[in-house]
Amino acid sequence: MTSLSLRREEARRARRARGHVTGPGPGRWAVLAALVVLAVVMLLPFAIVTLNALKSPAEYSSNGPLSLPRGFYLDGLVEFWNRVDFGRKLLNSFVISASVAVLAVVLSVLNAYALGVGRVRGRLWILVVFLMANTLPQEALAYPLYYLSKATGLYDTRLAVIIIFTVVQSAFGTYLLSAVLGEFPREIIEAAAMDGAGRWRVLWRIVVPISRPTLSVMMIFFFIWTWNEFFLPLIFLISNDNQTVPVSLGVLQGDKMMDATLSSASALLGIVPAVAFFLIFQRTLTRGVTVGAVK
Amino acid sequence: MSKKGIAAAFVAAALTLAACGSSGSPAPSAGGGSPEARTLTLWHYEGKTSAMGVAWADAIKKFEASHPNVTVKFEEKGFEQIQKTAGMVLGSDQAPDIMEYNKGNATAGLLSKQGLLTDLSEEAAKRGWDKLLSPSLQTTARYDERGVMGSGKWFGVPNYAEYVMVYYNKDAFAKQGIEVPATYEEFTAAMDKFVKAGVTPVSTGGAEYPAQQIMYQLALSKAQRPWVDAYQLYKGKVDFHGPELTYGATAFADWVKKGYVAKDSAGLKAEDMIVGFISGKFPVLVSGSWLYGRFGSDVKKFKWGTFLWPGNQMSAGSSGNLWVVPEKSKNKDLAYDFIDITMSKDIQNELGNAGGVPVAADPAAITDEKNKELIENFNKLSAQDGLAFYPDWPAPGYYDVLVSGVQELINGSKAPDKVLDDLAQPYNDNLADIGN
Repeated sequence: MTSLSLRREEARRARRARGHVTGPGPGRWAVLAALVVLAVVMLLPFAIVTLNALKSPAEYSSNGPLSLPRGFYLDGLVEFWNRVDFGRKLLNSFVISASVAVLAVVLSVLNAYALGVGRVRGRLWILVVFLMANTLPQEALAYPLYYLSKATGLYDTRLAVIIIFTVVQSAFGTYLLSAVLGEFPREIIEAAAMDGAGRWRVLWRIVVPISRPTLSVMMIFFFIWTWNEFFLPLIFLISNDNQTVPVSLGVLQGDKMMDATLSSASALLGIVPAVAFFLIFQRTLTRGVTVGAVK
Repeated sequence: MSKKGIAAAFVAAALTLAACGSSGSPAPSAGGGSPEARTLTLWHYEGKTSAMGVAWADAIKKFEASHPNVTVKFEEKGFEQIQKTAGMVLGSDQAPDIMEYNKGNATAGLLSKQGLLTDLSEEAAKRGWDKLLSPSLQTTARYDERGVMGSGKWFGVPNYAEYVMVYYNKDAFAKQGIEVPATYEEFTAAMDKFVKAGVTPVSTGGAEYPAQQIMYQLALSKAQRPWVDAYQLYKGKVDFHGPELTYGATAFADWVKKGYVAKDSAGLKAEDMIVGFISGKFPVLVSGSWLYGRFGSDVKKFKWGTFLWPGNQMSAGSSGNLWVVPEKSKNKDLAYDFIDITMSKDIQNELGNAGGVPVAADPAAITDEKNKELIENFNKLSAQDGLAFYPDWPAPGYYDVLVSGVQELINGSKAPDKVLDDLAQPYNDNLADIGN
């Protein structure tokens, strides 16, 4: 096992070394410059948000959004945290996103196993339907879902949002995973079947472990996507006690008012969990992506 | 191995949390404890430090003191959330007992037409709210069966008012030796002086509400109440090429030509306009009383003051947002009591002292000099029946129509009479829609 991973490590190093042989030509510098520009463009909004989150409102108004803050003004952050009971919103967002991520992956796996490996009849059309469900604008879903949730007594509960997003995300997950599992080496499955494994066993013992990198990437994406959802949570989570982070940020947007410093403070608080989550799981993420790419 | 661990932890955490979450969600109308204990659920979306936020927090305290068995469950909402979801919430059992809602045909009017709001006519008469509110403030409280404001039943009660005025930088005016203008001619003369001195006088933004309100103010300088009633309440025909709007559009185009407003302001937003004034770059700003508190706390570099648009009988302005009582409210009697407290002299005076425009305050009880100026100007306007509402009210989506029309005037890409044609079309389409 260790010798195997060592050998793999060597191979990787060799590949990298080979890449270096070509040396830094002008083309590479151009790519580097383009990447630097891109990085600056991507990071600039974050920098501005951070800048303004640390300013007092008076400072912002008299010196404009691009001036440097004089000292750390943390009252905005603290005020926002207390005003919307941010700890509770974080918990809500986590509960919803984590449940959706797990449930949607499970659902996607079951669906994709049937469609990709099981090859049920008319699978193409089933996939088209899934894809259509995925492209449907959420505004179109709002009213039907509202009546359904009212009829089932789930309106204004986190469970309603969990169910909705489990379905929405797994529609995409099914589509993606069916394509991946369609390419699943049949020999492995046949060998397992020969050894007497049933369909259930093949799924959990063979298919899931082998496609685990893809599944973890999907889970992470589902988590982040659900975390950032705004429209449907806005409609379904009416009580402040049930609201998620993005919805709570909307509290600051008035009719004709905009509190730029407080909004920046809240945006900063809203971004931090997603960034933290990404940093924790980024190794899984990149590994999953590269594994998929090599295949 | 580690991946499995992470996934397992994930599942466990998520599911336990979800389980405890769904069972632990509190019932909206808590009834525990003694059988008499009641809860009044109240929603509004005014900032905690705004005049309304301050006054209403006090109203809640007073209410709880006079109703010892009632707890007020206050939830601060976002403006957008209420805008997007009010119709759904009010149709469900999660409706609050009382809430703040936007005045106007497309908002309170629409909900009243759908039967989602309680008719408050009886209470308004019984508790004397109809006496406290002047006729133009009542306009936005009453809606007919088509959901058009101005007549019919009471569906809301406004607590505060707002109006458009001219904010000016006292230091900059003094530097140019300019007095506060009393007539429109003096006003333009003052702006000419600034232009000559190389200063663009008026901070505005064409991408949002500010610039269209200037055009409306200009049109109103030629208008009286009947024209406003025709334009806003559909009582009579509006000629878009009549003297009022023609003057509004041509005079505004003139403002651009003479350099009163910057040529690049077409793409600016309200926030840019505000920051432009506070930073001292522009000495004049035309906007509403909703900015009063912000300037009070944020303007540090110079002295500022306000005056009503010189020479106008009418000015953009209206009641503030409304207290409405949802039809599904479970505590309507408590909701009425609460509205009554917010209309009381104490709370109204407090609203005035906190920088708002109260509708029923005692002017003598307003101690703050600055706020006195704000309220006196409003009382003057209200006494001459001068609230003319806002230009974008008459038709759904008219705001965007006005934004693009005014932007074309600023850019000079269309002549004023062509712009008026563009404005007339959607207005008349809407008239046909509501059957006028």
